[in-house]
Amino acid sequence: MPRQFAYYPGCVAEFSSKELNATTKALAPLLDIELLPMPQATCCGAGDIAEAKPNLYLTLNVRILSEAEEMGADILTICNVCTLNLRRANKMVREDPRLLEQVNGELVNAGARPYRGTIDVTHLLWYLATEEGLSLLEQRGPKGLGGLRVAPYYGCQLLRPSSVMGFEDPDRPQSLERLITALGGEVADYDGKTRCCGFPIILAREEVALRESHVALAGARDAGAQAMVTPCPLCHLAMDAYQRKTEQLMGEEYAMPVLHLPQLIGLALGLPTQTMEFKRHFTSVDEVLQTVGA
Amino acid sequence: MASTTFRVFRFQPDSGDLESYHQDFSLDHEEKTTVLDALLRIQNEQDGTLAVRYSCRSAICGSCACKVNGKTVLACMTQVEEAKAESGSSTLQVDPIGNFAPIKDLVVDMTSFWEKFKAVKPYLIPDGPAPQKERLVPKAAMEKVAKESACILCAACYSECNSLAADPEFVGPAAFAWGYRFAADERDAQRKNRAKLYSGQHGIWDCTRCMFCNERCPKGVDPRDAIEKLGAIAFQEKVTKDKGARHAKAFLISMRTGGKLNEQLVGGLTDPVGGAFNAPLALRMLQKGKLPASPLTHRVKNRDQVTKLIKNVKETI
Ligand code: SF4
Ligand code: SF4
Ligand code: FES
Repeated sequence: MPRQFAYYPGCVAEFSSKELNATTKALAPLLDIELLPMPQATCCGAGDIAEAKPNLYLTLNVRILSEAEEMGADILTICNVCTLNLRRANKMVREDPRLLEQVNGELVNAGARPYRGTIDVTHLLWYLATEEGLSLLEQRGPKGLGGLRVAPYYGCQLLRPSSVMGFEDPDRPQSLERLITALGGEVADYDGKTRCCGFPIILAREEVALRESHVALAGARDAGAQAMVTPCPLCHLAMDAYQRKTEQLMGEEYAMPVLHLPQLIGLALGLPTQTMEFKRHFTSVDEVLQTVGA
Repeated sequence: MASTTFRVFRFQPDSGDLESYHQDFSLDHEEKTTVLDALLRIQNEQDGTLAVRYSCRSAICGSCACKVNGKTVLACMTQVEEAKAESGSSTLQVDPIGNFAPIKDLVVDMTSFWEKFKAVKPYLIPDGPAPQKERLVPKAAMEKVAKESACILCAACYSECNSLAADPEFVGPAAFAWGYRFAADERDAQRKNRAKLYSGQHGIWDCTRCMFCNERCPKGVDPRDAIEKLGAIAFQEKVTKDKGARHAKAFLISMRTGGKLNEQLVGGLTDPVGGAFNAPLALRMLQKGKLPASPLTHRVKNRDQVTKLIKNVKETI
């Protein structure tokens, strides 16, 4: 029996980073996961709606949790930002029955289903980085990454605040490292892996944002990485789509291919490269494909 | 008894040496010794020139913040053995807090921190003449600002603020926690002016949401949440000209149109004149199919519920 999840890819993976959504969907059956669509789910509002209308932000997120509850399945995400926002809202209403009641009042008034507080929200990385997940990957008999040297890049919102996220030590995370090693890659370790990619302010404060992503890109390059891997499509946009801009601003070259987490797994499990839509990347992944023999 | 090697950051420019380095000190100590006590014993017993800042020794004055194995903590609140266990290392490296220039060993120049703190006007500015008696405030009103009132100005949040590292002029987490503490106080009459004061360049919209401040704060102030609440106050006061505020507004419009984020709308509304979505990048985004062709894509099922929520949900900040 495959494990069923209410699948919440988030807006970015549904459009700007379609390759992430496509790869996750193709990977799911290989990982014994059934992804159930959530047709009513809105955007989680990222930090943006929270910054403008906090009560609305909370209510919209609880509405998403409620849809999953109706489906009877926990939520699986593939985005750091969605994970944080859904988990945060969940924690807020689970810990405060009066708040839950208030939010449910709004939901019912709008014709939506009230939430009982029974849903958990997890990220694909967390699901796979447990003993169970890793042994599942082993059973799939990965053809492996051929020793590809990969820099893990966590970004921020899957690690912090740990009071909301709590899967692993936010200062010394190991989940990506465990996956890279289990898939036959080599870990390129560097300090910048838990720092910010700058994406949340890339439209409003481009230069500040690019200086932030520089720290991670330069760190990965200096650690001799052949590629970076990230569990977040926003980090991916900052590191990949904006990479040339960062190079221009900093006067440095990184030439760093950036893989979405499911693409790294897909490469190791032998998913067809076309399915993973690498053509949508800005920085070429050709050398990566050569190294893993894809 | 336990034994620990402390790898301490040394920098003594007044002795003519402008290079910093790390020096190892071994210390036998009680099982329950704090990092601050250990440093003070090193100072007393091994090297009187070691400079450490501290005062209260009980997590109140905020002066002993430093980095222990890369993580900013209050030295007086951190047990040596616990820090070793947590980092999995038998050596504790002690460094000055980040994002500040060291003056001597673990002591940093905090001038910029105090300047920014002053710049947010961290005091009540009521309207009209002072009342005869004190101003009474209902408990619920003070609960709104209780978390932020706990800030001890230790700068642990500044130490690892990613926006500050990229832009030293960013006003930063602690100052904004204080800013919110006063903006949200019902005795203060400067809510709108504060919203304007905090919304400029290097202001609240420069926060990149790295969440380090919430993670590091030893007092549970959650400065990032305070910045978020200041954003909401800016919206309530209709101070929304900044590109950051326009970005948030674009999210709302996008939510109203289809229930989901629409990249084209958000890019266009945040910065219609150019900025990040300038020609070459936007073109490449389009070529790669990373921008939707129409602002009307993405519609969720039962969108009327979302429309109603947008209309009905009241903000109470
Ligand atoms: S917000 Fe927290 S970490 Fe920052 S100065 Fe205040 S007490 Fe220290
Ligand atoms: S969340 Fe914002 S204020 Fe807090 S540390 Fe990160 S950038 Fe700085
Ligand atoms: S010495 Fe006062 S906070 Fe540590």
